[in-house]
Formats: sequence, structure tokens, C-alpha cells
Amino acid sequence: MEIAYRIEHPLKLDVELQVRGMTALLGGSGAGKTTLLRALAGLVPASGRPFAGLSPEKRLVGYLPQGYALVPHLTAAANVALALHGEDESAVSLLEKVELAHLANKLPGELSGGQKQRIALARALARKPRLLLLDEPTSALDAVTRDSALDLLETISNKLKLPMLIVTHDPYVASRCNHVGVLENGRITQAGDPEDVFQRPATVSIAKMVGFSNIFEGVVSEVADNGILLAVGSYRLWVESVLRPPAGSRINWGIRPEEVMVVRADRPLPPELKNNVITVTVEQLQKRGAGYCLRLGGPLPLLMLLPRHVQDRLRLTEAAKIEVVLKPRYIHLFSSSV
Amino acid sequence: MIQAFLLSFKLAAITALVLLAFGVPLAYWLTFNDFRGRRLLEAVLLLPLTLPPTVLGFYLLVLFSADGPLGNLGLRWAFSFAGILLGSIIFSLPFALTAYKEAFRAIDPEVLDVVRTLGVSRWKRWRKVILPWIWPGLISGTLLAFAHTLGEFGVVLLVGGSIPGKTRVASIYIFDLVQALDFESAHQAAAIFVVLSLALIYAVRSLEEAWKSRIGSSIR
Repeated sequence: MEIAYRIEHPLKLDVELQVRGMTALLGGSGAGKTTLLRALAGLVPASGRPFAGLSPEKRLVGYLPQGYALVPHLTAAANVALALHGEDESAVSLLEKVELAHLANKLPGELSGGQKQRIALARALARKPRLLLLDEPTSALDAVTRDSALDLLETISNKLKLPMLIVTHDPYVASRCNHVGVLENGRITQAGDPEDVFQRPATVSIAKMVGFSNIFEGVVSEVADNGILLAVGSYRLWVESVLRPPAGSRINWGIRPEEVMVVRADRPLPPELKNNVITVTVEQLQKRGAGYCLRLGGPLPLLMLLPRHVQDRLRLTEAAKIEVVLKPRYIHLFSSSV
Repeated sequence: MIQAFLLSFKLAAITALVLLAFGVPLAYWLTFNDFRGRRLLEAVLLLPLTLPPTVLGFYLLVLFSADGPLGNLGLRWAFSFAGILLGSIIFSLPFALTAYKEAFRAIDPEVLDVVRTLGVSRWKRWRKVILPWIWPGLISGTLLAFAHTLGEFGVVLLVGGSIPGKTRVASIYIFDLVQALDFESAHQAAAIFVVLSLALIYAVRSLEEAWKSRIGSSIR
């Protein structure tokens, strides 16, 4: 489904976006993601395709806001029944689809966040929508519930062929979608497969959104056939990139913390990587999930994520001096400096 | 005495019902819509809270008099039941309106928005969602208007005077008894008032408590 919407108030948006299967809408806070969803639901005045000019009651759209918006004095079944207008399907059979038929007579106040969400989903599906709009569907859920919620959305998306637009700030949610659009400064600044957006973010701000924390400036000193040489302080980093910025231009570049690698004394590096070796000091070492997050000091303040098995072998400590390598194909150049 | 109390009840009941009928939509409109001049309109509607009843009564009397603006239109309601009814409605409106608005404010506007996207018509929204959600708040506001009208004195005296069976309500009846130095009858009537008012306010408070615990437990 192709969306083309223009909004004037409460903020200016001019958005064109393909919604294919599960589509994530990424964007910083205040970018207008929720406003766009509300406009698609008919709750904010807007012009564009589809549904333009129809009142919320007439649009076949399922809208799940962040708090799920269940009616507090109606049971789960009665909430679902609100959306049934004489169809054959019953509220209980819809609750079965989200595996919550046994909670049909519970009030929303008696349910957990994940259960409320499923009931809101069953209620939205009762409407037989042509588009499902979800606002931060996982922000209030713990990791396990988050995964099962995403599994359920995936099943619904596949079974019903129902396009979904999912507002999120969580790169993990975006990575599980079929398509990603990034909303910045009132328009879509990048759209594509999650892998595309994650590995080749178009701007620095998108890079930050999708988990690049090491972002620096450099000057292009040489342009060759298979890459460029980038001057960063006293270093000359070799970068493999399809971009061909002119020599002498300033450019932003970055590397993901999980792609910074420690040079091991027992494994000498191939000579072409020598340029990209940087000597740093471990300033801080913190447990992060199943691995470690290291803050490195030196000419380039880097963040590095280390899997546990690597740290078990290296046994790094704070204040240790080490060499890290930024491999040419993991260094990403940003086409825009914004 | 019975006649005076019956008249008070009639006045209070009709006032409360009229306020229920148009105060609820008005409160809904004021709660969920923002428009230019809303604050000024609310200030005007709440004015009777601080205005001396005699001032309100005086203006109504001037409006209703034979050569007053309303009197010219045929509304010669001075010293009539219609006159004290209109005065009571205006005078109790702030109480009912404040209670109704409080009730509507407990509704999460996002729930109403989402219910609209489910294709639920306006009529069904009121019947299935809004009224079942806040009816105790609406009843308590209406009871408050009823109690407040029962206890009203200044506006009724100025607009209606003290015509037995027509405008002499219980509060004015007591005033007349005291002026005639009939303290024994005044005592009886006053005692009835105390019991009645206490019962009404108690009912209002109980409803509010019941309502708050309901909303409190069900709010997300």
C-alpha cells in the first residue's frame, strides 16, 4: 500500500511511504510518527491517499495507540464486540485468534500489558481493517513478551496479508520488519529493507537511530578504484565504499561498536590493514547482556562490544593498552552530514 | 409547611433535570473542545459562584419586569414559578457543570478516539462507552444541583417574592416564620432542612467515592 500524506497541524509533515507487510516507521521523538498514524486513522486533519476525507468511523483502519485504549469498564469480549457491527464472527472467536479466549470476561484493569495489547489487536482486527497502525507496540513490554508480540504480528501479517505500519524507536523491532521508513524533519529521509537502512544509513542521525555510536569526521585524502583513504587526525584509514567523495572534502564516517576488533598478538594482520590499526586505552569495561561494552580512550574515543568468548580469552582489564582494527569494509561513510 | 417543602422539591427537581439535560452536553463540549473564548464563556457560566444571589435576582427582576427586555417579549416571569425556576437554573449551573466536567475529565480522550476508528456511531459511543463510564459522576452532579437549589434563598426571594403555593419555597417559609417570631415552627422546618441536606450531601459523597474507586481501579 502506498501512503502519501500531507499534514499542516500540529506539525508539518509531507510523507510518501510504501507499506509492505510489516513496515517500521523509525524517527526521533517529536518527529511526528504518532501524528502520522493519527492522521491515517482520521484523527488529525490531513490530505492525501488513501482514505483522505473520510471520518475515522468510515476508514477501514485498525489503530493501536501506545496505551492500547481499551474501554476500562468493558470486559475483553465487550471491548472486541464494540468493533463488530452485525458480522457473523463473535468476540470470543476473535479472542481465540490471539489465544486469549479464556480472559473474555476480564476487565482491562485485571490484565497485563501484553494481554491488553492482544485484546486491542483482536478488537482492531474485528473491524476487518485494510491497514493496521501500531504505535510503539513493544515499548511497554519485557523482552520475552516483546518477541511473542512480534511473532503474533508476523503471523497476522502473513496470514491475513494485512499491511502494518509500526511506529518504533527500537532498532530490534525495525530489524524484524519487511520494510523500514525513517521520518525526519517532516519527511521520509530513507526507506528500504531493514538491512539496507541498518548497514547503509543515509544520514548521521539515522545512523545513531540504528545503533552506530562511533561517528567521526574525516577528510578524504585519496580516492582510488576500490576505496578511499581518509585522514582522521594523524591516521590514514583505508575505507571500502561505493561513495566517491572528491579528495579534500570533509565527510562523516562511523563504525558499529560490534565491528571494532581487537588485534591479537598471535595473529599478525595482513599488511593492507596496518593503516587501520589504532592504539587505545580501555577506560571502562561493563557487562552488557551476554558480552561486554568497552569505552576506549585515545586519539579516537570508541565504543566496542566484545562477545564473552573473546573477553574470556583476552582477559582485558581497565587501563590496559590495546590495539584495535577498524576493518575497511565495516567503516561506513555518510552521504550527508546532517 | 408541607406546601412549602413540596414547592421546594418541585423547584429543585425540575432545576436538576433541566441541568442534567443541557448541562451534560455542555460540559462534554467544554471538556473535549478548545475554541477561542472558551475561558471567557466558562467564566461567565461560573459567575453565579461569586455573585451575591441578590445581584442575580435583581437583574432577573429587571429583565422580567413589564417594561424590561424579556418582559417586552411577553416573558413577565417576575413573581412566578417560571421566574424562580430560571433563576435557580442559572444559580446552580456552576455546581452541576463543575461536577459534570470533572466526570468527563476522567475519560481518556484517546479511548474515545480509538472507539471512533472502530466504526462506533456517536449514539452507540454515548450508550456503550461514555455513560456507563461516568454515570455516578453525572448523578452526583445532579444531586448536588438538587441540594443547592433546595437551600437557595436570595435569588428566589428577589425574583419570586413569597407567594404561598407559587413562589414561597421552604427556605423563604422559614424566613417568614422567623420574621413573625414563630420560632417553634421555624425550629421544625429548620431541623427537616438539616436532615435533608445532610442526607443529600452524604449521598453525593458516597457516589463520588464509589466512582473514584471504580475509575481508579480501571484506569490503565
